[in-house]
Amino acid sequence: MLKFMRKKMISIYRKDQDTLSVHGILDDDIYSLELDLDISLADLEILSIRGKWNRWTTPECRRSDQFLQEAVGFRNEEGLSQKVHKIIGRKSCRHYANLLLECWHSAREAALVAQWEAAKADRPDLAFEDFLAGKPASLSEVRTEVTGPRIEVSEGPKPKTKEIKILHEKARGGTLIDLHVHTSPASPCSSASVDALIEEAKRIGLDGICLTDHNYVWSASEVENLRRKHGFLILRGNEITTDQGDMLVFGLDNDIKGIVKLDDLRGKVEQAGGFMIVAHPFRGFLVVGATQIGLTPERAMERPLLKLVDAIEILNGKVTERENKFAAEVAAGLNLPVTGGSDAHEVDEVGQYATQFFQEIKNEEDLVAALRSGNYAPVVYRK
Amino acid sequence: MLETMPRLLCYSRNRNTSVEQIDAQTMRSTCRLQDTLTDAVVEILVKLPDLEIIDALGEFRRTYQDECRTPAEGVKKVIGVRVGPGMLKIIKGLVGEVSECRQLAFMIEECCHGIILAFTKEELAQAPVEQHQNVEYYQKMIKNNIRLYSRCAAFAPGSSMVEGIEPPTK
Repeated sequence: MLKFMRKKMISIYRKDQDTLSVHGILDDDIYSLELDLDISLADLEILSIRGKWNRWTTPECRRSDQFLQEAVGFRNEEGLSQKVHKIIGRKSCRHYANLLLECWHSAREAALVAQWEAAKADRPDLAFEDFLAGKPASLSEVRTEVTGPRIEVSEGPKPKTKEIKILHEKARGGTLIDLHVHTSPASPCSSASVDALIEEAKRIGLDGICLTDHNYVWSASEVENLRRKHGFLILRGNEITTDQGDMLVFGLDNDIKGIVKLDDLRGKVEQAGGFMIVAHPFRGFLVVGATQIGLTPERAMERPLLKLVDAIEILNGKVTERENKFAAEVAAGLNLPVTGGSDAHEVDEVGQYATQFFQEIKNEEDLVAALRSGNYAPVVYRK
Repeated sequence: MLETMPRLLCYSRNRNTSVEQIDAQTMRSTCRLQDTLTDAVVEILVKLPDLEIIDALGEFRRTYQDECRTPAEGVKKVIGVRVGPGMLKIIKGLVGEVSECRQLAFMIEECCHGIILAFTKEELAQAPVEQHQNVEYYQKMIKNNIRLYSRCAAFAPGSSMVEGIEPPTK
């Protein structure tokens, strides 16, 4: 028996010489919504958009309609999908975002068909495949490639000073470090400049931070310059996406791109004498209800990935308390060391959680040695 | 002015994603795409409770994209991945290593979304019918999963769904 079904239907016609009229319907067991768009043929720019809800979950779902207008002007450009997810998905509704992308991708193919139709005016017998073979440029034009970020260390905006409540008393002689922070533009998902983040970390009384940008390796000289500039302990790490989820890696200089197999990463970390922590291991897993999928700490302990990591992050600022608690129960059951980090993506998120080391840490070698010693504890540092 | 031109479609697309429970521990999610240029199907098998993808199949019966004609290697790359947050980046990355067929990665993602939505449907079946109780139900859901706060217009400040709920700590 079916548990769920989603249908999407897109219909496109030529409204005039320059415009495609696109009608999209998303209808599933939970939602039913529609979009009507006008899209220019020349550059696939969204000229107008209108949404309609037929079925929804909350009476407030229809508030999302007003934010659809922010899509007007979106066109065939680098990172369009991310833009739609970030702006329409977040401000409006992710199901509208899903349907909008379906409509836009369909319009892109409709434009290709329109180009072929135009080419047939001169050559009525031109087959679609032959048209494509002779027009590679038209295909590459409509692709939206995403390129990696370029790093420039800049001042960035000054952080807003905010009243904070310190919840943790620092251990005498120890070092309190936020082991998990993201900076912009090294991590495209972060909006915190590295300078602003460091200044905020200093202001709230942390002893240091570890830059763990996604699949990005800071050079030793860049970090040394930052240390000198701010007079603050800055350490390098890396959050690497593996086929089994995100891993915080320390003591590994390799610039790893793409998705790596976890056991391959394990090998690299061991070779480098580094340390690997599984980040937010149960992020989102409890949203659908652990009971529905039958996930218990005991079952979770059996996950093979947990045999390949050195420690578990049990305090992460981007997951729920329940998910952190679940991770803590799993770590306790496996007797694995545990850490904390804010996973900050904005300046005022740094230091929410941190790791209290009970020895002095001055550099990256000290950090890896301390992580190996197990002599530390995750802490809730600030509110 | 009367419109005299027939509004014939120049392009149409149907995409259908369905989720079945094969047995107590296994679910199958299938995404079928049929449009003016493409006819394709992608299927994943997911094992509970980890929501791990244990098998994946793909077939493009009709496509104009050379890179999509042989999806087998690309689709198998996602075996072992768990359905859940962060999966999109992993799927795009793994499939992208061996195939430039973007439609293939998208169809795998749609299968995964189907699995999550199947659980969401079960959860929402518990929501009360009465409006005030319904609001309370969602408020409780947001409190329990504060990450949902401001994740969409319905859960953003100004909505009755988040009335009285403290924004997530920053």
